[in-house]
Amino acid sequence: MSQTEQGFGFAPEHDAPIPYMQRIRDYYLALGYATPYRWARYAEVPFQPLTKPLAECRVALITTAAPYQPGKGDQGPGAPYNAAAKFYDVYSGDSSIDHDLRISHLAIDRVHTTAEDSNTWFPLPQLRRCARAGRIGAVAPRFHGMPTNRSHRTTLEKDCPELLARCRADRADIAVLVAN
Amino acid sequence: MCHQTVSLAARHLEENGIATVVMGCAKDIVEFVGVPRFLFSDFPLGNAAGRPKDPQSQALTLELALDVLESAPAARTTVQSPLRWRKDPSWKLDYSNIERLSPEEIRLRRQEFDQQKEIAKNIRDRAA
Repeated sequence: MSQTEQGFGFAPEHDAPIPYMQRIRDYYLALGYATPYRWARYAEVPFQPLTKPLAECRVALITTAAPYQPGKGDQGPGAPYNAAAKFYDVYSGDSSIDHDLRISHLAIDRVHTTAEDSNTWFPLPQLRRCARAGRIGAVAPRFHGMPTNRSHRTTLEKDCPELLARCRADRADIAVLVAN
Repeated sequence: MCHQTVSLAARHLEENGIATVVMGCAKDIVEFVGVPRFLFSDFPLGNAAGRPKDPQSQALTLELALDVLESAPAARTTVQSPLRWRKDPSWKLDYSNIERLSPEEIRLRRQEFDQQKEIAKNIRDRAA
């Protein structure tokens, strides 16, 4: 860093959000997969303003985490990537109780984090706290698990409509979706 | 992949009258897809809802997401959490960074990737 930059208090150049798409493209290219993945991209983005105050809204929580599956390999803290723990259909769970959800089937950062605390990816207890405090109207009766699929068709034509149907059945007004 | 899926799901819900907010750590992917509201935490993937063993950061993160739901003026609203993973940002140089891998590591990773792909394919085929 030059003297001038130090004077301005600039952050180091690499202290920017990680360019994941570029990293992933370069990574798989180096591994020998020549055709880069085509990411979904839209020019138009929908926007549904809130129709009532948050304190009256019923909130659905959506996760990509998977219920712990005994016998399907290491899914614990620090587990390596575990494709055996993947799931392929939308699932739902009772929001009023605690659940043991894991993320060993997802491409999390395994160097700098260990998935030891499910509250970092599944904030259901925090959401219930917000309901008790009156910050939101209520937690929707079920949370929903969304499969992560390479196929855009599967996500868009099968999983998204199923997720919507379940949110509607629960009369959810809004949804908080947590990515991994 | 996960950030893309969640973004597509948020769009679908939003198009059908359910307002959404995405909590995530991969800013480029979520913004590339295009979502209505996004709370970005500049943390390693797997920590979109806050820091491990730090209930205060988890409470703040969800609170920010709810704020974004309430106050976003238009689609493609991204708010970045003020929390830092750690003071030294060099952790950002590691994820899938090919420049940091030896040819031997690259060979092993390819092997492992093919194995995991095969496992996933078998589950899918059984489920189909």
